[in-house]
Order: sequence, then C-alpha cells, then structure tokens
Amino acid sequence: MSREHLETNIIRILRILGIIFFIIIVAFPFYWMIVSSFKSLEELLMRPANLWLDIRKINFNAYYEVLFEHGFSRYIANSTYVSIITVALSVTLATVGGYAVTRLRFRGQAFMSYSILIIYMFPAIVLVIPLYVVFSHMALRDSIHVLILVYLAQTLPVALYMLRSYFQTLPVEIEYAGLIDGCSRMGVIWRIIIPLSAPALASVALYTFMIAWNEFLFAFMFLDTPEKFTLSRGVVQLAGSVHLSKQLVMAASVMVTVPILVLFLFFERYLVRGLTSGAMKG
Amino acid sequence: MASLTLKAITKRFGKVMALSRVDIEVKDGEFCVLLGPSGCGKSTLLNIIAGLIPQDQGTVLLDGQSVDSLAPRDRDIAMVFQSYALYPHMSVSQNLSFGLRMRGTPKPTIRESVQWVARLLGIEDLLDRKPRELSGGQRQRVAMGRALVRRPKLFLLDEPLSNLDARLRANVRLELKQMHHQIQGTMIYVTHDQVEAMTLGDKVVVMRDGKVHQIGPPEAIYSYPSNTFVATFIGSPEINLYRGMLVRKDGLPHFQGAGFSLNLGRLQIDLKEGEVEVGIRPEDIGTGQAESMDLRAKVEMISYVGSEKYIHARLGDEALTFCAPKDTALQPGNVVHVAVDPGRVHIFHKGRRI
Repeated sequence: MSREHLETNIIRILRILGIIFFIIIVAFPFYWMIVSSFKSLEELLMRPANLWLDIRKINFNAYYEVLFEHGFSRYIANSTYVSIITVALSVTLATVGGYAVTRLRFRGQAFMSYSILIIYMFPAIVLVIPLYVVFSHMALRDSIHVLILVYLAQTLPVALYMLRSYFQTLPVEIEYAGLIDGCSRMGVIWRIIIPLSAPALASVALYTFMIAWNEFLFAFMFLDTPEKFTLSRGVVQLAGSVHLSKQLVMAASVMVTVPILVLFLFFERYLVRGLTSGAMKG
Repeated sequence: MASLTLKAITKRFGKVMALSRVDIEVKDGEFCVLLGPSGCGKSTLLNIIAGLIPQDQGTVLLDGQSVDSLAPRDRDIAMVFQSYALYPHMSVSQNLSFGLRMRGTPKPTIRESVQWVARLLGIEDLLDRKPRELSGGQRQRVAMGRALVRRPKLFLLDEPLSNLDARLRANVRLELKQMHHQIQGTMIYVTHDQVEAMTLGDKVVVMRDGKVHQIGPPEAIYSYPSNTFVATFIGSPEINLYRGMLVRKDGLPHFQGAGFSLNLGRLQIDLKEGEVEVGIRPEDIGTGQAESMDLRAKVEMISYVGSEKYIHARLGDEALTFCAPKDTALQPGNVVHVAVDPGRVHIFHKGRRI
C-alpha cells in the first residue's frame, strides 16, 4: 500500500470515529429522553439501566398526564404565543432597521450600524436583577408581554446584524431599478428586498423563535402565576415538584425540543437557497 | 420623448469632486454618449439625472421643466444597468411588466406592451423564464426591454454592453442603433469604449475627472479634439503626441521635436513661437521614397490587425505609429520617408487646441 493511500485511509477512519463520537455525545441524551418518556413509571423504577424500548409497551400516559394534569397544554399555548409574537416583531423591526442602516444615509448611520451589537456586551444575568426590580416596581413583572419585550431586546441586535449583513450583499442596482420602475422606498423593501431576502428572513425567524422558545432565566425570574408559565419554566416546575416521575419530565422535555427540531428541518431548505443568482451578469 | 438640459451640475463625495459644473444639452430624440475613463463621473451623472442620488448644485431639466424635486419614479425615465439588475424572483414577463404594473396601467395594455417589446427584441420565447435561466445576451435584452416597455421620456443606459463578449457586443450595438431610429427616443448612453461612443452617438460628451472636456458629434470630436486628453483618448491606435518648440524657419512655422523637425506649412502661419504639443493621427501619415519627404523614421515593430498594419517606428528620439496597407513590404529595420499633411496636424498649447 502506498504511503499516500495509507494516509487517506487513516484520515478516513479518524473522520468516521470523530463523527461517531459526536453523534453519541449529541444523540444519546436525546434518545434517552425520548425512550424514557414512553415508559411507564414501574418500568423505569424496576429496570433503570435498560437502554431499550419495548415497542409493545409504548406508553403515552406520560404525555397525557403532562398535558392535561400538569397544565402543559397551557404552557405550550403560552410559549407559542410568546415565540410567535417575538418572531413577528423581531423580523419586522430588523427588516426595516437593517435596511435603514444599510442603504439610507442619515446622521449617525455608521454609529448606529456598528453599535447594534453593543447590547451583547451585557450578559443576561447582569440585566435580570435590575429588570426584575424595575418591572416589579412598575407592577409589570408577572406578565408574558414583558417577557416578549425582553426577548425582543435580546434577539433584535443579532437579527439586525444578520439582516444588515445580508442586505449588504444585495446589489443596489436592483433597488435602483425598482425606484425607477415606480416603487417608493417601502415598495422596494416590500416587493424586492423581502422576496430576495427569504433565506435570511427564515434564519432570523428561526433564531428568534429558538431563543424565545427555549429561554429560561427571564421566564423563571419574572413569572409567578402558573397560568402564565412558558414551557421551559413549566418543565422546571415539574421537575421540582414531582420527584419520582421521571417519565413526566422527559415527556415535557420532548415537547420543548421537538417543535424546534421540526422547525429547523423545515426551514433548512430555505436557509441554503440563495435567491439572487441571475440578477446580475452571469 | 423629451429634451434634457443639465445646468452646472456639481457633486462631491467627501473631498472628491465627482462632478464640477457640468452643462449638457440633449435634444429631443438625440442619442447622446457620455464617454470617459472609469472614475470620470459619468455614471454619477447618470444617477443624478435618474434622481437616484441628489446633486449638490445645479439643475436637471426635462423638456425645460426642473425635475430636481421629483422622485425617480416620477421623472418618467427608464434605465438600463451595466449589471442588468433584473428582478431575480420574477419571470421575464413580470420583469418587463413591473414598471407598468406599479403605475397602475390596465391589464390589457400591459399585455400588449409586453408582447410588443418582446417581439421587438426577439425574446417572445423567454417570457416564462427566470433571469437565472437566461444567457448574458438574453439578460441584456430583457434589461433593454424593461426600459423600452414603458416608453419613457428619456432612456438612460449605463454601459449596457460591457458584460457581453466582443462579437455579441458588435451585433447588439448595431441593433441598438436601429432601435433608436425606430423608436426615436432620447437616449443618454454611458461608456468608456470609444468605438461604442463613435458608432452610436449623435453627440459625444467626453469627460474626465468630473469635468466635460468636449461636446460634439463624433466626427468633430475625432477631427478637432479640443485638448490633448480628448486627442489621446479617442482614436485607435492612439494619436502620436509630441512636446517641443514652435520656431520659424524662412518665415514658415516649424515644429522642433526631440530629434526631428516638422514643417507646419502656410496654413499655420499665424502661430506664435514657443512651447507647443503636436498630435498626428496614425492614418494621417503617408510613406514613400520621394526626396521631398523630409522626415525619416526607422521601423521597429509591425502589428497586423487584418484590414491593415500598424507600423511602430522611431522618429528622432520619439515613437511614431502609423498605418500602412496590409500588403506593405515594410520590415523592421527599414528606414522610411514619412510625410504629414500640415492641415491635419493638431497643435496644442498647454494642453488646449490652438
């Protein structure tokens, strides 16, 4: 075997080993979570080390209980509401804001453009106590709308930054053509920029949704009333209250994780597709 | 269709003077070419006419009416971009009809107009395609069509042919000229290609560094360049330009260059002595063996361009290029007598034509 041949083979084997290693690290907990959620309590208590799931014994009781006895149908509705409103606001504001700092000339444009990420220099843990105090004094704390506000503040900088970077890659001549063809600025954004930015908008929406859906710290600090809990807050509540029923916590965790997974698989097609090819010289 | 008047247009980008007091008058139906090297401000000027960027000073008038306060969409102009700038998410027919739809044109009229322009440009088969499924030449046609379909007052074309390969470019150039005859539109055409400018333009505006250097029909620009920049920028091969002294011998003006002397004859009798530059176009130089020809040049190199040959020779201490028939017997190393018709010598003083 030649030396080069040997080297390629070694690299190939190492690569496969690396992939297997990461799959185990990432996928095993996920697998364990799903498997456990389908088992009954006795099964879990009797044979805690059993990695396999007996298909004949699949048990949906945990989901039923979590949804209807532990209030998770409500939490899902809350999380969905919070996430969707956050996504809608964040994408809308980031589109007009990102366009403004990319294309329009105004006083302080460069500063605006570069200061977008400054907010990220403050970690959430630093902000949560002052915000807790402020919102408590204003009697706004225990509300999912305040949560939306906080999530918006948290996601908007990155959303703006992502869209700005994308808008900068769009050729300005297309917008010029639109302006000459009879569009106003808003018309250009609506009819030309937004359709062309579908991949970027999809990534921003997905990113924002993930943050809003998964966020725990602020939800934990701000929400007191169980009817207002979001999913992540509900899972912690459940884990803290029902000591033995591991399958319930696992079922709840599945409900938190799976929507994001599905969304990601669905949007993934849009993320890769570049729409601008063909506009310019080829 | 409309006439266009630019009055003292000035534009600065930071410290750079992009345009300084540009005055241009374009008549109704005229084909006006803005010609200059890259960075001369011609595209900026086009964007100002379109209203895409505001000028610092000066006025743009369409049909005698100022359009300075009008948005691009209200100026009733159309523009073809160098990059074509087609809408990638729309089909060809949607690209063509976009401007009409934005203006609320009735649907039957839109359909007719799109059909008309598609037939005019021979792109009827492409109407359902997306821009990314088109070749470069087809995209260029669609871009032209998008401008034509609205029948605007004024067409602005920003180097529309520069992304086509050489053969296609020559064809499209001819078509463009025919199309201009057919629709009689007022056109402003930006290019850095002198051949395009000469073949297409009714009027050529030569620009450099944000200033207009000369305006006139192509023949005038070529035959009477108003300064050394215009003289060297226009014409291929480049004009022979020499710096030297104007002196009088036997009452007649002579140009004294580096290592040669040129009799300027009686036509230039009024010229004052002093420092000048002279320009001689390669095709204005004749060769022969006659004793009356007082200039002798040594051939150094010959380039064959098909229809003729360019002879690169040495005249005194200067380089001299001239044209010779393609069957010329000249060889590198030969010494030839050359002569110039004094009437065809361009004389400049401090860069300006005298």
